[in-house]
Amino acid sequence: MRKVVAVIRREFVERVRTKWFWIGTILGPVFFGGMILLQLLLASRRGGERWVAVVDGTTTGAGGRLVEGLSTVIRRFHFTRIQDSPSVPDSLTRAVVAKGLHGFLVISDSTLEAGKAEYRGSNVSSMADMRELEAALSRQVFAIRLERQGIDPAIVREAEIRLQLATLKITDKKVTGESGEEAFSLAFGMAIVLFMAILLYGINVMSSVLEEKTTRIVEVLVSSLRPFELMLGKVIGAGAVGIVQLTVWLLSVKFLAAQQGRLAAFAGLDQSGGAGFHLPRVPVGTLVVFITYFLLGYFLYAAIFAAVGAMSGNEQEARQAQMPVSLLLIVPYISIFGILNDPNSSFATWLTFIPFWSPIAVPVRWAASPIPVTDLVGSLAVLGVSVVGVTWLAARVYRVGILMTGKRPSLREIFRWVTTT
Amino acid sequence: MTTAILDLDRVTKRFAGHTAVDALSLSVPPGVIYGLLGPNGAGKSTTIRMIMNIYVPDTGAVRLFGSAGSGQDHSARIGYLPEERGLYAKMRVLDVLLFLAEMKGMGRRAARPKALEWLERLGLADWRLRKVNELSKGMEQKVQFISTVLHDPDLVILDEPFSGLDPVNAAVMRETVLDLRRRGKTILFSTHIMEHAEKLCDHICIIARGKKLVDDRLARVKETYGGRHLIVAFDGNQGNAAGVFADARLVAKVQDFGQYAELELAPSAEAQEILKALVGSGARLSRFELAAPSLHKIFVDLAGPAAAAVAQRSETEAVRA
Repeated sequence: MRKVVAVIRREFVERVRTKWFWIGTILGPVFFGGMILLQLLLASRRGGERWVAVVDGTTTGAGGRLVEGLSTVIRRFHFTRIQDSPSVPDSLTRAVVAKGLHGFLVISDSTLEAGKAEYRGSNVSSMADMRELEAALSRQVFAIRLERQGIDPAIVREAEIRLQLATLKITDKKVTGESGEEAFSLAFGMAIVLFMAILLYGINVMSSVLEEKTTRIVEVLVSSLRPFELMLGKVIGAGAVGIVQLTVWLLSVKFLAAQQGRLAAFAGLDQSGGAGFHLPRVPVGTLVVFITYFLLGYFLYAAIFAAVGAMSGNEQEARQAQMPVSLLLIVPYISIFGILNDPNSSFATWLTFIPFWSPIAVPVRWAASPIPVTDLVGSLAVLGVSVVGVTWLAARVYRVGILMTGKRPSLREIFRWVTTT
Repeated sequence: MTTAILDLDRVTKRFAGHTAVDALSLSVPPGVIYGLLGPNGAGKSTTIRMIMNIYVPDTGAVRLFGSAGSGQDHSARIGYLPEERGLYAKMRVLDVLLFLAEMKGMGRRAARPKALEWLERLGLADWRLRKVNELSKGMEQKVQFISTVLHDPDLVILDEPFSGLDPVNAAVMRETVLDLRRRGKTILFSTHIMEHAEKLCDHICIIARGKKLVDDRLARVKETYGGRHLIVAFDGNQGNAAGVFADARLVAKVQDFGQYAELELAPSAEAQEILKALVGSGARLSRFELAAPSLHKIFVDLAGPAAAAVAQRSETEAVRA
């Protein structure tokens, strides 16, 4: 046991000493900080002022009323009415290119008759701008058309209401207060972290095994402790590095999200637009499920990666041999949307019970909707048994593989390693 | 007789297609330097790996320190230097030594002063905080050797310890091995270079193709296989020496190196007759000596010409190095 601890410590200390560990650990928060800034930037953009010309091609004089109405509805847009003439669009286009104008709206009689209008501008890719403009325009057209039928504008204003649909998630018997959007981003975030962490740290185990094999240090090690102890130490050591790194990342995300006001001030961004970056709330249950499945999933894949490292003769062979294993993990990753779409579909249920996939599928499913207790228990049981079984198999491949030299073994040979004592 | 440190009882190891070690029995008494000799591919490394329980013998048994149990159970008392050597390239020298000592069951605190002492002794003290990949090849070999003996093992097993060593480091290694023996340790080392074995070993075991050929004290081996043995060296002119060597009435076996030859007398021949014949053939002699045969000669006689060719080549390489 003392020797296993020594292996764990070496694995941990040596990995933490590499520059890649520090780059990765620091890059995480930098990346999240950038994401938060981006969100803030978008939010501040959303609140910015827009200068828009309205090219009035109406013959009934409705254009003036339309512009007047628009100006009162969206204040951050400054509208200037221009009478249509053949040269107007070209000169306005030049103004947009010269950045004197964000864009221009072209209205005509058909705007009121058939609901057709055109907008050309540099900000057409801003979803928020376009949505707002469209909504305001359609409301004005709607109001004018009603008035034409003799309905009092006051009544129209009174009848208008803007609807916002708030979506709340229900877990066992109670509404959690999490919004649907929050649950989605939480599930999505967890899937990314799980996928990356299991793959990254699993491959770390593989390269560590490979190093000992190619340098033949493994002969000295195996003459001192049992191969299984060695493998166990490596898996735990590399996993511990993963947990430290994940903890640093999560804490830094929490910290950065809490400090986003300062972050915005630092970057000189206007925060009056509100919104900003919202960290999804993580209930304790979700956290427990996440950690449990991360650990089990990591052990499952790390054992396989250890075996892959042991049966490869060099980095190149190992890279080839680890491909199928990585692909196995990609399956649940690309199924996230399917699961989120319908967390209780038979597809999502199946994924819950397949050990290679449940480590990502279950936390995602859990974040999206309550999972029946029987499903959860069954999934954990299958995964737990698989971890033990796969580790046992991997240890047998590992034990023979680390001492082998020469060509890569065939599948038949590997099968023999597993079956012979 | 004291109990043996290491006993092999008819161990056999087969790999797909061939038998690497064939019913090999040997016994290593305590406090000796024991040489496991043989040409490349004779089964030396396989034998050592079975002793270390890296390979499990197909049949037969290994006993260490008079008790059953694998190399892992006795790892605290054994130091093992494998033939193919490597270290963690990115670790610091001292950390590698401490880790490997831990693998042998030593505590870090106890290992530290010892490691520093050894580094000092082999002239690596200034390198203790450097990474392994900054060391020269020779330094790295010294570090490996330290890791083998750091935990003060009773039995030190060295697989081809001299291969790839420069003469200075080979001398350091030789000196350290002798020092270990003086302190009552047992050393088993394998080599295919007879010169090394001849200088160091108390006891030798020659194997070829997985089978044991000789297993005895070196002095006894020389006595048994020696006797009618002649060393001849020429001073530039060989005359018709080759004709003399070919005469079966005089010479039973010959190893002719050109300017130097080792002969075994034919049963009825006298050394004087050969001397006369050589002088008569016009050869100028610089040396003519009745002697015990070199271990190399014994080895070649026993292991056969094919093995001899391999060993010869290695020996030349060793001499050149």
